[in-house]
Amino acid sequence: MITLRNISYAFGKKQVLEGIDTQFETGGFYAVMGANGCGKTTLLRLVAGLLSPQQGEVLIDEQSIGDLSARQLAQRIAFVRQHPQTDFEFSAFETVLMGRNPYQRHLQNESEEDWRIVEECMRQTGTWHLRFAKPHEMSGGELQRVMIARALAQQTPILLLDEPVSNLDIAHQFDILELLHTINCEQGKTILLVVHDLNLALRYCQSLLLIHEGRIHYQGPIAEGLTADNIRTVFGVEAQQKEGLLALSPLTANR
Amino acid sequence: MKKSRPYKKITTGGSPVGPGTGWIALLLLLLAAMAVSAKVGVVHYSWVELWQSSIFWNLRLPRILLAVTVGAALSVCGAAYQAIFRNPLTDPYVLGISSGASLGAAVAILLGLEAWLLGVGACALASGLLTIVVIYRIASIGNRMHTTTLLLTGVCLTFLISALVSFLMVLHQDKMDSIIFWTMGSFASATWTDVALVAPVVLVGTAVVLYHCRDLNLLLAGSEAARSMGVEVERVKKRLLLATTLMVAFCVSATGVIGFVGLVVPHCVRLLLGPDNRRVVPYSIIAGALFLLLSDTLARTVLMPAELPVGSITAIVGAPLFIYLLYKNKKGF
Repeated sequence: MITLRNISYAFGKKQVLEGIDTQFETGGFYAVMGANGCGKTTLLRLVAGLLSPQQGEVLIDEQSIGDLSARQLAQRIAFVRQHPQTDFEFSAFETVLMGRNPYQRHLQNESEEDWRIVEECMRQTGTWHLRFAKPHEMSGGELQRVMIARALAQQTPILLLDEPVSNLDIAHQFDILELLHTINCEQGKTILLVVHDLNLALRYCQSLLLIHEGRIHYQGPIAEGLTADNIRTVFGVEAQQKEGLLALSPLTANR
Repeated sequence: MKKSRPYKKITTGGSPVGPGTGWIALLLLLLAAMAVSAKVGVVHYSWVELWQSSIFWNLRLPRILLAVTVGAALSVCGAAYQAIFRNPLTDPYVLGISSGASLGAAVAILLGLEAWLLGVGACALASGLLTIVVIYRIASIGNRMHTTTLLLTGVCLTFLISALVSFLMVLHQDKMDSIIFWTMGSFASATWTDVALVAPVVLVGTAVVLYHCRDLNLLLAGSEAARSMGVEVERVKKRLLLATTLMVAFCVSATGVIGFVGLVVPHCVRLLLGPDNRRVVPYSIIAGALFLLLSDTLARTVLMPAELPVGSITAIVGAPLFIYLLYKNKKGF
């Protein structure tokens, strides 16, 4: 369970998040949504321990993440970024192997066990055939799947993903969400996913954390959260629900 | 799990991670090169005479050891900097550490400190360290180091310092020769004192870099990614920078500024063996030592009894080799 206790965060003078108090249950599949710049990414980075809040604290299973070393944290939380940095020449296999770092000692080489885990994670994400490929030889969707494989190789109970599908075409978006759904169901990982597509979120995620101007606007089951009212407030877009799908039209009056 | 799966091929292109037989072979080659380098020179000796001569013990041997040590150190530092700053152009020279040290040496020469045993070296060391402190101060906003700011600061300081050194040279033309020595680098005045000062620092510094080889790999994937995969990024970066800066400052204090080695050697190793720093660093140690030893041997033998600046040899030999490897690699895609 992840607990955020009265978190506030500001970049310089700009207050990004204010008074965030919430919990993420173990095994949940959460969509973190909100307009651009509302603080979604900041929230994720705070949970990942990449930022420390000016106020409040993040707890994982009742333990403050400030007390954990980078190594301990990396055994509990894996983080997939929106834009993976790829200007190096490591093959996909070597990239995924990096995910085993939190379990290795300095000067120690990878064990057969590490290799076995890497192969398993790559097969799961459908990237095993890309094992020799360098980053520039892969498409955006393939690269993102390799990054997810790397996060899986960390064998953490918690997986955070910051807009992993925003640059991908519809088919690949479905692919990745299907994959995350499987991981959530079969391995019981807690997943926090920042995603923009309302219908994708509605289809795959169980719960929703809706952020509006640095504060929590809604938290709860996703089907009850993506209401026309909430969508109008947060995104300024008019929405209609038909047969479980959202039809959207821009609110011309506000723009 | 079947053991026949080609895991090793995937990760390392066929050879085991870390120093293997190739590394040992390269080490033997280095030892052979050291022996040959000891034999050649203005005065000819047989092997037996060489062993008994004071030229070998007091001139050639310390010079060879110093070239090997400095070559290894600069290459290791270059490899480390390139990973830490995720920038292929980084080396001790670009970061301004080398030129910072040369300014200290120039000032010491002008103040007439040459007569003292360690006068010039100590000043070079102090100003090298001072430069890196200034660079860190400017570049570390908040508590985090920003790579771009750090590099730009280094480049700017290099320009500023080179200008100051030229200025000093014009003002004091009588001392120009000794200052030029510092800006171009040379092993001609190598002594046992130099070796005794530089070698321990290089040994310890290299050990620190070797210890963090895998962290260097992860840093290449980005600071944030490294952090979320369990690297204490800021601490590791600071420790590595301290170790490498000390190595460079001690090297420059003994030999002056030698560019090109730190940039080219790690790149050549990477082009041949792939990006894994667990191989790049150990191979860079030997390759750098070998490269600088050969360059210095050429520098003192090509136009005997006159000496060439070793920096010009490293560039003349290294640049075409580097360009060839780049070209060959490009064609492979």
